[in-house]
Order: sequence, then C-alpha cells, then structure tokens
Amino acid sequence: MIMLHTLLQANPIEGFFFGSGKSMVVGGVAVIIILGLGLWMWRMEVRIQRLDEAVTRQANGSNESTTA
Amino acid sequence: MRMIQRSWKIGGIALLAYVLWTTFTVPLGPGLLEFRELEFRERNEAAFSAANTNRIETYELIGLGTHWTVQPEELRLFIRKGDQIAPLPVIDVIDDTHAQVALLLPDTLPSQAWDVLINHPVDGTLFLQNGLFVSGFVVDESARLPRPQFEERIADLPHHFPFQPRIFETIRNLMLHVPMWFTMFLLMGIAFVASIRQLSQKAGGSSLFDLRAEASVQVGMMFGVLGLLTGSLWARYTWGAWWVDDPQLNGALVTVLVYAGYLILRGSVEDERLKARLAAVYNLFAFVILMILLMVLPRFTESLHPGKGGNPGFNSYDLDSSLRAVFYPAVLGWMLLGTWMYRIRLQATQLNRKLHRLNE
Repeated sequence: MIMLHTLLQANPIEGFFFGSGKSMVVGGVAVIIILGLGLWMWRMEVRIQRLDEAVTRQANGSNESTTA
Repeated sequence: MRMIQRSWKIGGIALLAYVLWTTFTVPLGPGLLEFRELEFRERNEAAFSAANTNRIETYELIGLGTHWTVQPEELRLFIRKGDQIAPLPVIDVIDDTHAQVALLLPDTLPSQAWDVLINHPVDGTLFLQNGLFVSGFVVDESARLPRPQFEERIADLPHHFPFQPRIFETIRNLMLHVPMWFTMFLLMGIAFVASIRQLSQKAGGSSLFDLRAEASVQVGMMFGVLGLLTGSLWARYTWGAWWVDDPQLNGALVTVLVYAGYLILRGSVEDERLKARLAAVYNLFAFVILMILLMVLPRFTESLHPGKGGNPGFNSYDLDSSLRAVFYPAVLGWMLLGTWMYRIRLQATQLNRKLHRLNE
C-alpha cells in the first residue's frame, strides 16, 4: 500500500492507475507470474540441493568402500 | 571470468527490473470513455437560429486521464462521419474528466451515427468511435454540413502508454503476458534443435541433447501455462468470460496440451534410448504444430485477441513507440530468465542422472 501511495504521489495528475477499474487485472497477472516463477525457483532450489547432497554422499560412500 | 559468464544473467535481471518499474509507473494516456445524453429541453432564445433544430439536448462527455480544467476554454468538440465534421459547443467543463456539451445541429443530417472528437492543448486530439447516435433528425445522405476548421493536435504530455478502448490499464499486460509466449517459443525452439541433434547422432551416442530437449520443454511448459492463466484472467475482465472460442486462444491451449503429451510420452517409456528417439521425433512434430497453431493459422482467421484481425504480429496501430521502449526489453528480459531457468533445470536433470549412475 505504501508503494502504491508513493506511485500516486509521483504522478499526481496521471495518478489514475485505478481509474478504469482494471488495474487489479494487471496486478493479478503480475502476481500469477511472480508466484508461478517463484514457486518453480523454490522447488528447483530444494531439488538441486537434495540431489547435490545425495551425489556427494554417494560419491563419499563409494570412495570409502574403495579405500577399505 | 565468472563475472563475464554471469553478465547475461545480471543483464536479464536489470532488464526485468526496468520493465517491472516502467510497467507500473508510466501513466496511461488520456482517452474518451462515453458521450451520453443528460437532458432534453426546448430551444431557448440564445440557441435560436433558423438553420438549427428546434430543440437542444445536453450531453455529457466523459474522459479518462484527461486534463480539461487546464485551459478549459481551449476544449473543442466535434462530431465526424467520413469527411463531414460539425462542431458542438462546450457548455461547461465540470472537472478534468467531465464536460457538458450542447447538441446544437441542423435539422437535416447525413447520418445518425457519428464519431466524437475533441481537441485540447494538453490531451491532443482524442477520438470516440460511434460515440454519438442521434435521433429525431431528418437523415439525408446527400446533406452537407459547413466544414469547420479542424486540425489534429498532438498531446503535450510526458511519456505515457496509449489509451485503447476497453483495454485501458490492461495494456500494461503486454509486458507481462505476451513475453510468456515469446519465451515459450524460444525454449521450444531450443528443444526442437536439441531433438534434431539427438536424432542426427549415431546409435549409442550421448543422450545430452535429449536431456536438453526435456529440460527446455519442461521450462517452456511453465511459461505456456503462465501465459494461459494470465490471458484467461485478462479475458475475464475484458471480454467477460474466462475463455472464449477464439482460434488464437484454442491454438495456445492445444499447443500446451501437445507439449504435455511430450512429457507424458517420456514418462511412459522405460528404455532410455528408445525414449530419447521417440521423444525427439514427437518433439519435431510438436514444434511444427506450435508454429502452425500460433503463427500461421491466426493469419487466416479473425480473432478477438489484441494485435490480431488477420495479422498475428503487433502492427503500428497496436504498438506505439512508448510501448516498444518497454516491450522489447521485456521480451529480452523474460527470455534471458527463461534461458537461465532452463539451465537450472538441465543441471538438476544431469545431477539426477549422475546419482542414478552412482547408485548402479
């Protein structure tokens, strides 16, 4: 809300972003994209971290068995 | 060295930051919303003239983002049909977006439906197609109106996005929704090339290209689904329905479903080599279908979708210079982000493959 207020202050004459009643469509579209990409990024981060740990663990395990 | 390697990622983020900032801060240009009848009364003495009709109707002109209180005496209103133009007197400027106008016209008019135009030093010339439908006048197509002096004016406003009827503020979605599809095209193109290279390998070759195609389609699907969701939301508040039977929309949905079939096909084959070859062949056809449904067919059909009407490209009417200054960086920025996501996905797939090999 503070950011929106600042935007309206920056454009006092043209501060009609809400005038047509369609600003929430733009906001909705932005939210869907940011949530979608954010969720994907978060899932990939978790997946890569898990895989990386598993590969390291596996590699260490095979090294130990070779040494033994 | 690593900094140079990462420069395209930094460039992508910088572009998207610029795009998101300008998308939400550049104001929408002014436009006309409505020209509606307020009251009807008998002619008064001041309005009397032998050539004019014996009645006066007061109309209200409603604008969006207009500045009529700045030099209100300079607000001029006209109605136009073809090359016929008639001025209408502005009675009062109520505020920046509301003005009252007298419908003072000759008894005989060449048409009932008229476009409404205004000239204002700040807003320039604004236009409302078929904004006025007059009744109670004699209509004679051969009637000629005295031609007033009319010159189109250019708006004296800072950088702004163009006003489009019905679209209004949602023109900003051009920087959000449309690049989703451009990014999907790019990723499916990467998958197409990878599939060709996979098929051109000799038997027993590396499966790297197959992995690239898979990762690219997975990320491309993500952008396709986001494109469908955001388009559907826009359609609900512009056309009044979440989905309409339109060739462009149906083509987009079918394309996403075809690529969903690619991922299902991959999941249903156990043998790695057979999976790689089958998926590559399927992917070639999927890309051709994408091109036909989204690039070729819309050229031969009418569509409600903005930028269409026989031409799926954005022409000068739909995309002016203020939009281009944000739209092209938006396409590049989202494409760079898509490429980055594809590389992350590929890295995950390769790690998974490595883990499988270690387990074996």
